Amino acid sequence: MRLAYYPGCVAQESGKELDMATRWVARKLGIELVEFPKFSCCGSGFVDEANMVLNVALNARNLSFAEAAGLDLLTICSTCQGMLTLANRKLEEPAIRTRVDSALGQLGLHYSGTTKVKHLLQVLTESYPPEKLQPLVVRPLRGLKVGAFYGCHLLRPQGELPGEDGEDPHSFEDLLRALGAEPVMYRGRVMCCGFPILFVKEGTANRIAGRQIEDAAAHGAHAMATPCPLCHISLDSFQNHAAREVGHPLDMPIFHLPQLVGLALGATPEELGLARHLVDTEAALRRIGTVATPA
Amino acid sequence: MVESVSVPLSVYRFDPGRDASPRYVDYRLDLPRHTPVLTALLKIRSEIDSSLSLRYSCRSAICGSCAMLINSKSRLACQTQVGPELDLHGRIVIDPMRNQPVLRDLVVDQRPFWQDYERILPHLVTDPRHPMPEGKPNPMTPEQVERFHETPRCIACGACYSACPAKEADPTFPGPMALAKLYRFVVDPRDGATRERLLRIQPGGLWTCLRCHLCTTSCPKDVQPSERIRDLKELAIREQGATEAGSRHAVGFKENLHDRGLLNEMRLVRQTDGVLGMLRQAPQGIRIAAKKPELLHKPRRIEGQEEVRRLYELLEDEEGGA
Repeated sequence: MRLAYYPGCVAQESGKELDMATRWVARKLGIELVEFPKFSCCGSGFVDEANMVLNVALNARNLSFAEAAGLDLLTICSTCQGMLTLANRKLEEPAIRTRVDSALGQLGLHYSGTTKVKHLLQVLTESYPPEKLQPLVVRPLRGLKVGAFYGCHLLRPQGELPGEDGEDPHSFEDLLRALGAEPVMYRGRVMCCGFPILFVKEGTANRIAGRQIEDAAAHGAHAMATPCPLCHISLDSFQNHAAREVGHPLDMPIFHLPQLVGLALGATPEELGLARHLVDTEAALRRIGTVATPA
Repeated sequence: MVESVSVPLSVYRFDPGRDASPRYVDYRLDLPRHTPVLTALLKIRSEIDSSLSLRYSCRSAICGSCAMLINSKSRLACQTQVGPELDLHGRIVIDPMRNQPVLRDLVVDQRPFWQDYERILPHLVTDPRHPMPEGKPNPMTPEQVERFHETPRCIACGACYSACPAKEADPTFPGPMALAKLYRFVVDPRDGATRERLLRIQPGGLWTCLRCHLCTTSCPKDVQPSERIRDLKELAIREQGATEAGSRHAVGFKENLHDRGLLNEMRLVRQTDGVLGMLRQAPQGIRIAAKKPELLHKPRRIEGQEEVRRLYELLEDEEGGA
């Protein structure tokens, strides 16, 4: 399988471990990641608040490169998935389509609207169903209770993850089960991580993150896992502030989705960049019989 | 005869005057799969327990009375069928709406909801520069009506208000319904109170919205409040400039992308919070950068950056783009 790899900004900077884990898993599964150094940021849901048509055009430019290469596009971030899907949907509105076509035309680019945007979770669900994935599992995540945390823009407003209900999804839990882990069902799994207002109203954002972590913990989760590096910032990098807001310590390891896949398929913690997390993952690793060597 | 299935329901019961704490009471009914949850609850009330309290009226998703939590989702009970819920959860758990105090069982005190609605001045305020023609209608063009999008369809059921995590975390946030209605007045060509309305929704304002889109998935009338809040943010930036942390963040992000094509995380914090804010964040920044040194690296730039800048030139001026 060949896919246009759209890593997004954070996985190329502070969330580098997500990029490392994605590349490891892709190599293991024989997915070829085709890189496009011309890809820009998706706008992250902020640029479209300042100028929606511009944001659609920026993403139409991104999508046009994948279309010209005849490839579906792979995202590893719920927000990238949401914004690129939104661009495809907005381009169905004739008034927006006309303006974007004309602007791209001046750059000598054209986008017909055929690029399929697929998050890694969807690619794994579609192409590696349990019967295909399980034989590859060398280290089942047995005994590890994991709270899946989807990230809003992978689920809503519509169509981001085909076939999934925006408030009642199940593909992430199905994947966790295939890896041998025990998924934990809790309300917070489809809720917001607080990231969109982390730099605007930090206390409120931290409180929202803290509540989701508390909720997962109250339902017995040993760890949480997210398909979104922005959720990871909110839940992992800022977990100390979330704890301050909810008024008691939190100690919840937060994995990126491909890190858990990688662990089950035999990657070492070093290959997955686990030492880069702010919250230590060792307690969770011990449960599945893996211990990280110190970084 | 339609075949019935056995439906387990777990219903929140609480009478603050009598009960020390809320409890769930389990019921089991035989119902056809297409039965609305509201019909199931009324069957419980008429055949099992007449003390069950709930609001309802039209049974046709018009009056907006029967919003409640159905398996944790804010929905109209008259519009939600038991079959699909059983498929997803194997049972049906019913709770009162969130973000409003419980009066009894499934009935909540909606005063906070209506008070937030009043904050936006929910009536036309004529622009003195364009007075209404006396004794004559003041028709709008079809294009002007189009700009309302779906907002006039709102039935004020409160499902979005119940679903909103921003409202849950910050009571000063007006909630999705009030903001969707605010949008409706801002784009009404006959109205002249945009500035006052935007002032009246402070301090929660527009920028506490998390863009989680739970309001949009909860809305029984496809009003898409989260989309209208996004539209409002764009209009507010055009009207007022980047005057709040939220609008500075959006505009700063846009500038970031203009210059490099990618986000530079450190620069964005400075643009949103200012230098003082950055100093306040410094201990946390150092703590994170110790694990993630890329944060301190020289910002990268994409190939073909000039194409991105050209798109800005082409699409920033039209309609006074911010």
